[in-house]
Amino acid sequence: MNFLDLFDQDLVSSVLRSLIPILLAALGGMLAERVGIFNIGLEGMILVGAFSGVAASFFAHNWIVGVIVAMLAGALFSLILGYGAVYRKGDPIVLAIAMNILAVGMTSFLLVAIFDVQGVFQDPGVDGIPVWRIPVLADIPVLGALFSLTPLGYLALLLVPALWIVLFRTPLGLRLRGVGERPLAAATMGVNPQRYQLGAVIASGALAGLGGAQLALGNVVQFTENMSAGRGWIAVVAVMLARAHPVGVLGAALLFGFADAIGFRLQSFGLPQQLTDAGPYVVTLIVLILMSKRFRKTREAALA
Amino acid sequence: MVAEVSMRGITKRFPGVLADDNVDFEVEAGEIHALMGENGAGKSILMSMLAGVYQPDEGEIFIRGERRTLSSPLDAIDAGIGMVFQSFKLFPSLTIAENVVFRAEPTKRGLIDRKAASRKVAEIAERYGLSIDPDARVDSVPVGVLQRVEIVKALYREARVLILDEPTAVLTPQETERLFDVLRALRADGRTIIIITHKLGEVMAISDRVTVLRDGRNVAQLVTADSSPAEITRHMTGRDVDLTTPPPALEPGEVVLDARGVTVPGAGERDAVSNADLFVRSGEIVGIAGVAGNGQVELAEAIIGMRQVSSGTVSVSGTDLSRATIAERRDGGIAYIPEDRHAVGSAGTADAIDNLALGHHRRAPILQRGLLSRSAMLEHAQRLIKRFGVKIASPATPVGTLSGGNLQKVVVARELDYRSPLLIAEQPTRGVDIGAIEAIHRELCEYRDNGGALLLISAELSEIMSLSSRILVMFEGRIVAEVPKHEANDALLGLYMAGHEPEERHRPGAFADALAASTASTNHEKGAAL
Amino acid sequence: MSALQRVGRWLAGPIPVSIVLAFLIGACFMLIAGVDPLNGYAAMLQGSFGTGAGLANTLQRAVPIIGIGIAIAIAFRAGVLNLGTEGQAGLGALAGGIVAIYVPGPGLLVLLLALVTAVVVGAAWGLIAAVLQNLLGVPILLSTLLLNYPARYFSSWLIRFRLDESSSDLVASDQVRPEVQLSMIVPRDSGFAETLRSSLGATNPLTMVLTGVNWSLIVLILVVIATIFMNRRTRYGFESGLSGQNAEFVRYGGVKPGPLVLRTMALSGGLAGAFGLMLVIGAPNTRLIEGYFVQTNYAWTALLVTLLALYRPVGIVIAGTFFAAIMVGSDAMGRELGLSPQIAAVIQALVIILLAFRVALPRFRRTRAAADGATAPPPANPQPALSGAGVTDTAASASEKESER
Repeated sequence: MNFLDLFDQDLVSSVLRSLIPILLAALGGMLAERVGIFNIGLEGMILVGAFSGVAASFFAHNWIVGVIVAMLAGALFSLILGYGAVYRKGDPIVLAIAMNILAVGMTSFLLVAIFDVQGVFQDPGVDGIPVWRIPVLADIPVLGALFSLTPLGYLALLLVPALWIVLFRTPLGLRLRGVGERPLAAATMGVNPQRYQLGAVIASGALAGLGGAQLALGNVVQFTENMSAGRGWIAVVAVMLARAHPVGVLGAALLFGFADAIGFRLQSFGLPQQLTDAGPYVVTLIVLILMSKRFRKTREAALA
Repeated sequence: MVAEVSMRGITKRFPGVLADDNVDFEVEAGEIHALMGENGAGKSILMSMLAGVYQPDEGEIFIRGERRTLSSPLDAIDAGIGMVFQSFKLFPSLTIAENVVFRAEPTKRGLIDRKAASRKVAEIAERYGLSIDPDARVDSVPVGVLQRVEIVKALYREARVLILDEPTAVLTPQETERLFDVLRALRADGRTIIIITHKLGEVMAISDRVTVLRDGRNVAQLVTADSSPAEITRHMTGRDVDLTTPPPALEPGEVVLDARGVTVPGAGERDAVSNADLFVRSGEIVGIAGVAGNGQVELAEAIIGMRQVSSGTVSVSGTDLSRATIAERRDGGIAYIPEDRHAVGSAGTADAIDNLALGHHRRAPILQRGLLSRSAMLEHAQRLIKRFGVKIASPATPVGTLSGGNLQKVVVARELDYRSPLLIAEQPTRGVDIGAIEAIHRELCEYRDNGGALLLISAELSEIMSLSSRILVMFEGRIVAEVPKHEANDALLGLYMAGHEPEERHRPGAFADALAASTASTNHEKGAAL
Repeated sequence: MSALQRVGRWLAGPIPVSIVLAFLIGACFMLIAGVDPLNGYAAMLQGSFGTGAGLANTLQRAVPIIGIGIAIAIAFRAGVLNLGTEGQAGLGALAGGIVAIYVPGPGLLVLLLALVTAVVVGAAWGLIAAVLQNLLGVPILLSTLLLNYPARYFSSWLIRFRLDESSSDLVASDQVRPEVQLSMIVPRDSGFAETLRSSLGATNPLTMVLTGVNWSLIVLILVVIATIFMNRRTRYGFESGLSGQNAEFVRYGGVKPGPLVLRTMALSGGLAGAFGLMLVIGAPNTRLIEGYFVQTNYAWTALLVTLLALYRPVGIVIAGTFFAAIMVGSDAMGRELGLSPQIAAVIQALVIILLAFRVALPRFRRTRAAADGATAPPPANPQPALSGAGVTDTAASASEKESER
C-alpha cells in the first residue's frame, strides 16, 4: 500500500463524517460561550441526543422523529446547566461534570431497562438518516463529498454562516454578545441577561443533541454505551481555540475531523486501533499548546 | 408647577442593611440638582430605583405628576429617565455606536442598520459638543470618552431626566469643567439633571438645588445659592468633621524607597509606566496624583514585584530588590495596600484568621519549627481585629461578609503589622465610610511618625493634598511634575494631570537635585550609587 | 442553639435534601424499568451494608474512591482543576504494576519499588499539565482531561499487545506474585483469621472486614490523617487553600503561583498513581486488566465525592463510603433484579446537581436569614475554588462595587 493512499477521494467524506457531530456540538458550545456560560457538558448532551434519537427512531420507525426527539432531549437535558447556572447560581463546571456522568449512567441504565441489551443496541427497526445526494454536484471529484451528506450535515455547514450573521449582524446577536460580555450592563439597558443565557444554553443543548443524532443515526445506525467518546470535549476545545467565532469553530472542527479520519485510515496500515484512537486527543492537545499564545493574551487582558 | 421627578416615602432594605429609609426626593424640570451624602448614605441606591435597577420596598414614584412603577430599566427609559452609572455599563468589545443603540437598534430587513446607527450617534454627539467616533471600539478609547458615550446613550433614548453618579471621579478638573458645560447645555435644552456627588466644590459650581442624604434619610433640601459649604457638610455628616491630618512629627530621614528608570510595558504600543524616578524617605508621605489609568497602579505593582518591568531598578533601605520575588521584596521591607481589596487584597470566602495571616505565616510566631501554629494564627487575628477596631462576628467569619470599611481595615491591619520601612497605599479609603476614613488616615499618619516611608496613590486630590508632603503627578505613564504640599492646589495639579508642561521648579527631579546638592543628602547618594 | 436544633437544621439543609431527592428521582428510573423502587432500594441496602461481605466490599470499593478523591481535593482546594486523575491513576498502576509483576526480588522491596514507581509516573503525568499551564497558559482543566485519552489508549494497547498472557479469556497481564500483593488486613489463611472466625463467627462484620479488605485501607487512613495535618499545619497547605479561594491574593502575599501549581499537580497525580496501583496489586484483583479504570469509573466517582465534600478530607471519607455503598448496592440490585448497575452513577450525579441547585427545605432559608441579623449571610458557596470571588451582594458591597472600575 502506498502512503498517498491515505489521501484518496474518500478522505473528504470520512473527514466530513467525523466533523459533523463535533461541529454541531461546538456551534452549540459557542452560543453558550457567547453569553458567558462555559459549557463543558456537551459530551453528555451529545450522548443524550444519540440515545433518545435512536430510541425515538426505533419506536416511530422514522428518522425525522428520531432527529426531532434527539434535539428536544438535548435541549431538555441542557436545562440542568441552564437553570442551575443561570437561576440557581450553581457552578457551571460542577454542573456540567455531573451532567456528563449522569448522561452515561442514564443512557446505559435505560438501554438495559428499555431494550434489555447491554453495551450496544442495533435493530433493523431503527430508521437511519438518509444521505441526500445532490445530483451532478455530488459527482465532482474530491469536493463532491460535500454534496452527499445527511440533512444534518448540510444543516451543520449552513449554520456556520447563518450563526455568523445572527451573531454579528442582527439585534439578537448584538444582545447575546452584550450579555456575555457584561451581563450587568445589558440588564441596565433592559435586556434580561438570564433569559438570553438560558436561551443560549438550551440552543447549545439542542445543537449537541443534533450532533448526537448524526452520530447514532447518521454515521452509524446504532447506540453504543458512551458512544460520544470524548467528542464533546473536543468540541469544548474547538470553542476555546476559535474564541467562540463560527468560522474558527469550523476550522477547529475540521482539524479534528481530519485527525480522526487519518487515524482511522492508519489502522489499515496495521497500526493498532488503540493508538490511532488517541490521535484526535493528541492533536487537540498539540493544537492547544501551539495556540497557547491566545490564552496568554486573554489572560493578560483579564488582568488588565 | 408639577415636579419632574417626585419620590415619596421610599424605603429600600437589603439583607441586614436599611439603604433608604422613608426618603422624599423632588426635582423640578430644567434644573441641575445635586444629590449629596457620604459613602453608604443611600444616594446611588435611591437613584438606581429611579432608573429601574432596584425596586423600592415602600413608597411611590411620580414622573411629571404621573405615578409610575419602574419595575425594570426599560420602564425607566420609557419614562424618559437615563442614568450614567459610576461604573460605566458599556461593552468593551463593541463599537461606540453598537453600545449606544443596544436594544434600540435601527434595523433594515431584520439586520442592524449600521450606517444609520453611526449617523444618529454622531448627530447627537455633535449637537451637545461631545466629540466621539461612533465606529471606535469602546476598549480603545480613554475613560473620559466613555462618559460621553454614556451620556449619548441616554440622549439616544430621549431621556428628559439624566442622572449622573459621581461623574467627575475619573476626570481632571479641566475635563470636569468641560462636562459641566455639556450639562449646562442640556439644561438649556430643557432637560433635567441629577448629579450624585460627595464633592462640595462641584455642588457649589454647578447645581441649582441640593438634597442631602445621611444614613438613608433625607436630611436637607437647599437652594445652592442660599447655602454654604459648611452648612452642607454639617448636614452630610451630622457633626463637624475634620479630615485634616496632623503634620509630620519628624523631619524626613533616610531614603527608603529609591526607584530609578522604572518602565513597565503596557497592553498597547505605549508603556504603562515609562522611566519613572522617585524616592520616599522615612517619616514622609509622598503622594501620587493622576487621573485613574495613567500608570499609577502599574508603578505600584512594579515596585512590589507583581508586574514585570522592562527596565529600571528598585531598592529599599539601600538593598537592591530589582530582581527579587514578591516574597523577597516583602521580606526586604515593602508592604502594600492594593487598590482592589476584593480581587487582590483579600480572599472573601476565607476567614479573617487566614486573611490576616498571609505573609506573616512565613515567620515566627506563626511559623514554629517549620509548621504553622494555629493558636498563634488565632492570637494574631484577635490582636489585629481589636487593635484596628474591625467589626466582625468572630475571627472565623469569612471576610467577604464585611462592609467595605471593615474589609479595608483588615487589609490595612495586615500590611501595617509587617512593620515594613516602606508602605505603598493605593486608594486606601475608596468606598469606605467616613469613620473608617478617619481611622485609616490616623493609622497612616502614625506609621509615618514612627519613621515609616509611605507612598500614597489616590484619585482623591483632597486626600493626597491633606496627607502628603510632596506630590508627584502621573500622566500617560510618566511622572510629569513634583509639587511640594504648600504649593499644591486643585487647579495646578489638574493642569499637570492633564499633561501640561510644569513650571521649572515643579519639574520632576528638581527636588531630588536640590536635595542632592544639600549636605543632608548623603543617604540618597548612597542609594544612587547602587 | 442546642445540638438537637443544629442537627435538625442540617437535615433540612442542602445535602440531606439533595440526597433524598436524588433517591426519589432514582426511584422514577426504577419504575421506568418496571421494578418496585422499594424492592430495589432494599436490595441495594442489603447488598452494601446488610451483610459482612457487603460491608467489606463497600469498604474495599471506597478505598480508591476516597484516595483518588483526596488527590482531586488537594488539587481543587488549590484552585487547580485536575480532571486527569483517571490517566494519572491508570498510568501509575500500569508502571507500578509492571514493576510488581516483572521485577524479581524480595516481596516487600519490590512492593515499595512498585509504589514509588506508581507515584513518580502518576506525578509525572500530572506535571505535564502543570508545566503546560505555567509556561504556556494552557488551561489545566482541558490539558488534564485530554491527557486521559492517550493514557487510556496506551494502557489498553500495552496490556493487549505486550503484556497479555493467553491462558485466560480476559485481556490481562500475569498475576502479581503473592508476596508482592497487598494482602487482606488479616490474611484469610492466617491463624488470627481462624481465631476471629471461631470467636466472632465467620460472617460477623468485623471478621469479614478484617479478612475481606486489603492493606490499602490502612494506607488510606494514614493518607487522610496526613492530608488533614498538611492542610492545617503546613505552609503549603495554608497557601494552597487560600490560593484556591483567590490566587491573585496569594500571589500578592508573596507566594509564587508557578511552583504552587507544580507541587499541587505532583502531589495530586502521585497520590492518584499510588491508589491506582493499589487497585492492581491489592487482593483480590492482582493483575493489569484492559480497560479496568475506564469501566470502574473510580476517577469520576471520586470527583463527584470531592465536590460533594467541598474538598474536606473527613467529608470525602464519609461521602466516598456513601458513594461506594451506592455502587456496591447497585451491583447487587442489578444482579438480583436484572437492572443496569449504572443506576449508581445516576443517583450520584443527581446528588451533585441538586446540591449545585442548593435545594433545601424552604423554612431553612428563612430562619437562616433572620438568624444572621446585622451581618449579611456568609456566601453559601460550596465551590470556592471554582467560582471566583463568591461574595454575596449586600447593599454595602453592591454600592461599593459600583465605585470600582
